[in-house]
Amino acid sequence: MEVSLLVNGESYRLDLPPERRLADVLRDDLGLTGTKVACGEGACGACAVLVDERPVNACLLLAAAVEGHDVVTIEGISRDGLTALQEAFIAQDALQCGFCTSGQVVAATALLAANPSPTSEEVRVAMAGNICRCGCYVKIERAILSVAEGVTV
Amino acid sequence: MARLVKSVVEMEGRISERWALVEDDEAAEPWPDPLDGDFAAVGRPAPRLDGAKRVTGQARYTVDIQLPGMLHVEVLRSPFAHARVKSLDVEQAKTVPGVRAVLTPDSPAGAEGGSCAGLLFAEPDYAGCPIAAVAADTPEAARAGVIALSADIEQLPHILDYEEALSRELFEMDPRETLRGDFESAYAAADARVELTFETPTEIHSALEPHSCVARWDGDELTVWASTKAMFGTRAGLARAFGMPQDQVRVLVEFVGGSFGAKAAAGKEALFAAELARQTGRPVRVANDRHAELNDTGNRPPTRQTMRLAGNKDGKLVAVEAESLIGRGSPGFGASPAFVLYRVENVYGLDASLKLNVRPANAFRAPGTMERITVLEQAIDDLALELGFDPLEFRRRNHVDFDQASGEPYSSKALLDCYERVAELAGWAERDRLLRPHPDGLLRGMGCATQIWGGGGGPPSHATIRLGGDGIATVVTGIQDVGTGTLTAAQVVAAEELGLPVAQVRVTGGDTQPNIYAPLAAGSMTVPSVMPAVRSAAAVVRRKLLQLAGDVFEVSPDDLSIREGQIRSKDRSLDRPYSEVTEKLGNATIDGSGSRGPNPTGKRVNTFGCQIAQVAIDTAVGEVRVEHVWAVHDVGRVVNPLGASSQVEGGIIQAIGFALSEDRVFDPTTGAPTNAWLDDYKVPTIADTPEITVDFAHKPDYELSNVGSKGLGEPPIIPTAAAIVNAFRHATGRRVTGMPMTRKRVLEALA
Repeated sequence: MEVSLLVNGESYRLDLPPERRLADVLRDDLGLTGTKVACGEGACGACAVLVDERPVNACLLLAAAVEGHDVVTIEGISRDGLTALQEAFIAQDALQCGFCTSGQVVAATALLAANPSPTSEEVRVAMAGNICRCGCYVKIERAILSVAEGVTV
Repeated sequence: MARLVKSVVEMEGRISERWALVEDDEAAEPWPDPLDGDFAAVGRPAPRLDGAKRVTGQARYTVDIQLPGMLHVEVLRSPFAHARVKSLDVEQAKTVPGVRAVLTPDSPAGAEGGSCAGLLFAEPDYAGCPIAAVAADTPEAARAGVIALSADIEQLPHILDYEEALSRELFEMDPRETLRGDFESAYAAADARVELTFETPTEIHSALEPHSCVARWDGDELTVWASTKAMFGTRAGLARAFGMPQDQVRVLVEFVGGSFGAKAAAGKEALFAAELARQTGRPVRVANDRHAELNDTGNRPPTRQTMRLAGNKDGKLVAVEAESLIGRGSPGFGASPAFVLYRVENVYGLDASLKLNVRPANAFRAPGTMERITVLEQAIDDLALELGFDPLEFRRRNHVDFDQASGEPYSSKALLDCYERVAELAGWAERDRLLRPHPDGLLRGMGCATQIWGGGGGPPSHATIRLGGDGIATVVTGIQDVGTGTLTAAQVVAAEELGLPVAQVRVTGGDTQPNIYAPLAAGSMTVPSVMPAVRSAAAVVRRKLLQLAGDVFEVSPDDLSIREGQIRSKDRSLDRPYSEVTEKLGNATIDGSGSRGPNPTGKRVNTFGCQIAQVAIDTAVGEVRVEHVWAVHDVGRVVNPLGASSQVEGGIIQAIGFALSEDRVFDPTTGAPTNAWLDDYKVPTIADTPEITVDFAHKPDYELSNVGSKGLGEPPIIPTAAAIVNAFRHATGRRVTGMPMTRKRVLEALA
């Protein structure tokens, strides 16, 4: 079926099987491999992308379902250079292997957009759907809090 | 000058003596102690050098590799723990549009006379065991091909129970005994005795990047992108399988999405991909889905352990008996850490690996040690309390400064410093205050545990450095950085020794082509093996750079030094940027190479440490939460405290999964795991993460190398689970029967 997508501000017209997942379209058809697939069942958050500024797991979404919506991937977030949040992830060492990091940055970007001054508890609730097997959670929390509004580090 | 010397090398408890090539070390002078020295880079926090690539999604992992015409592979796996494959319709599978090749157990593969036996199985003996592999144009076509195989699989009886396997003497390998002194007599004569039986869980690595490989043949040359911690082992394995020289195989591992012990050597993925690529003439990708990842990539084996300890009123341990039943495969279950962690003269050990119908184990971060320390450290606590000693004081009293298995002294051991520091950080002396009632109604307690591990690394390991006209120094290593930050550590070491700013140093690894060897990322070996070679190479380049500076500035090079890019004379009359020298190089480069020296003879190299955990227990529902972990480890010199603290935090969080939530659960009818997905196999999340306080002993091991760093990958995961369960006992006075500490186990303990 023919599907029109808006990804990172670019329009695409694609001929796709109706069952094709958004994650596969992004990675395989558009070459946007920054979005990772780790569990394929919405349990880990590695494939998180923004759809109309809300974080969703692209492995659980059919590509056809986001027609008419605004999709932003980690590549879109990074288009104008590193954001303050990404700088904080590097400075705080909030990553090890980095495979979950795209999803962590997407989820944290959405959190800060919706709530610019989250508490520690709010960060832990918002980020609980993003697994990091290397165990960078202490520093992920620190990185997010360090760029929260009104905080100087 | 190059020499071949014999060097003793330890990896995950296995000791071997082997020939190793070493060269004269230009950096023979040890760096000073961290507190005395004036370091520009070493010991200062360094963000990882590839951080920007990893936070923007630009880092390219094996699963991101897309090649024109690339085929995809689906693997048929056994749905039963034990089965016989009665038929596979290969011809039908080949008629599926897009299917290009099918492998079955008797398919020819690799070099002349080779086959898929050993990779694919007609009588699978665990659920998830691979039976056949189909390569096709698309993942969908490969899946259709597997269905078209119309596999007729007959279920056979399976064994998942220790007792049943034991009664039928089904051993994976012969049971192994350890004897020292006279356990029974000492145990009988002692003032106090404790006995403990405890079960530990199956823990699955669950790296978020699955095991994966892409293979491409160009004539008789094979290029492989692999998610592996062992690129040289993968190269050797593929060269052997296909009967070709190693230099015709190139393995690339630029970014690896986690390992934790798995992803060693040329696994099934690499061999399937290379064989299918050869048969079809197309590049081939093999990548596990999460289900395959949780079923068939190895795991920490489950154990049931019984320990008996005895001690005297003076606070001395006199006897330790440790018996382990291990659920199939026993990586790292050699000499027990239970017999060397404390001074004890009388020990008896028995380790038996049982041939259950479960996935054979492979190495998982501190294999064999973490499981046994988890039980030993509970028994040590019990004995201390039985004898009326503070648990930490009891451990101090039984400190030992030599390796009791070999009789050799340790090259360095700062465990007593770790005890003192961690007790101070955690407020150990006031821990009984936690036993007072809390407003939230939770019970609280604090427990400790000690850690021992190898981590000395050794030769061979090499590095080369080229400093060019643009002032950039490129360090070439054989490191595969699986996320531990070892490339960044090399950048820091090179910058310090070169006297250049960290930003002017690039480090490469993850490619076998330059043939600069480093050991696999295992056994906490990378930092202690590779960093001395990097420092040695950097010393050569620095010496040459200062010689050239002498020519340029018309002074004696002996009068010059360099720090953070500034070349200075002793009297500071000359103080110039190094670029004034390198800009004159044009296309020439200043080259240096270095290698790791031999390990000390007659000394044992080990890491040590102690952790304290504070837990809170909701007795109404049986929930245990870890609130704070304090960790102090002796790993020699800490090159990059930022990356080092990340390693410690990660180890602690994985151990929390082992202690509280992770295990493989089986369907008794099929013998297949019921929780082989990430929503059922519960790894810790940010919401499960305690406060973590990290410190180090900061005592360089001058006997080990010119850098003095021991390894850090594994030590932090070892004592956490024991500290948690000891905190539970402090809070409740009770013991659980095993891990994970499920609500059922906790409520049973509290009943």
